[in-house]
Amino acid sequence: MIKNKTLLVVFRLVLGGLFIYAGVVKVLDPLDFAQNIRNYRLVGQSLSFIAAIVLPWLEILAGVALAAGIWKRASALIISGLLVFFILLTLVTIARGLDVDCGCFGALSRKSGFGVILEDLGMLFMGLSLLFAPGKR
Amino acid sequence: MSETGKIVRQALIIGAFSVLLAAAAHFPLLKRFAMGEFRETFLSQAEYPGIRLITLQETEDLWAAGETAFFDARPERPFREGHVPRARNLPATDSKLKIPPDLLELPRERTIVVYCEGGDCQSSLALAKRLHDEGFKDIRVMTGGWEEWEKAGLPEEKGDDQE
Repeated sequence: MIKNKTLLVVFRLVLGGLFIYAGVVKVLDPLDFAQNIRNYRLVGQSLSFIAAIVLPWLEILAGVALAAGIWKRASALIISGLLVFFILLTLVTIARGLDVDCGCFGALSRKSGFGVILEDLGMLFMGLSLLFAPGKR
Repeated sequence: MSETGKIVRQALIIGAFSVLLAAAAHFPLLKRFAMGEFRETFLSQAEYPGIRLITLQETEDLWAAGETAFFDARPERPFREGHVPRARNLPATDSKLKIPPDLLELPRERTIVVYCEGGDCQSSLALAKRLHDEGFKDIRVMTGGWEEWEKAGLPEEKGDDQE
């Protein structure tokens, strides 16, 4: 468990910032993101649409809360949960042999693959460190 | 209330706010969705006026007339195993798909039909968008894809591109 306060603050700002960024690029082009979700071929058209509308805002709000230090553990919980979901999704996608854009960071997205999982694991490490950080809850 | 309960409750509040913000920010889009748009594709008609979805019947008619350029968006291997005769393979699974230069010499008014595996496949749409970005004005996406064409017992061709 990480106890270094400075390091935890850095984690909050980096992870929060990344999620704000990821959310904002998707809010700017919801239809493109909806198509991205659809490309994973797991959910249908309507669910892809709804997810594409809501998910970016969840990323932004959780990111803002985490970076600002409001409800740190709750936002770390949401972000960690999303990351676990993204990792599972990527694994399933690799197993199915689908060739899709990950849709993670808008135009900066890459192929869904092991690189994405590594990135997500790095972020998940920060998220869990914050979720289980010692001290005032 | 326990610490865990409090954290979960806060997380749910953040979730609820996300839904509210999403509904407020994308209200016009949600309205279009409620009116029936985006049920088949997420193409915005305003953004991609040159792309239309077509049925097997329309595809067959266009193919029989022989004036239309056909593009198969599937990867090379399934293409080699069988494709719509005269179709050219342009695998569109790669986001950085390059349109071959000779294709860019086609008149932009030329009718183009694109297809992929069928069922849930999305690569024909990706290819259609890409061609639309190049200025093509009449792109039709055969939604039933190869699956439907094959099932209907329509002519097939095997092997690599003829060109």
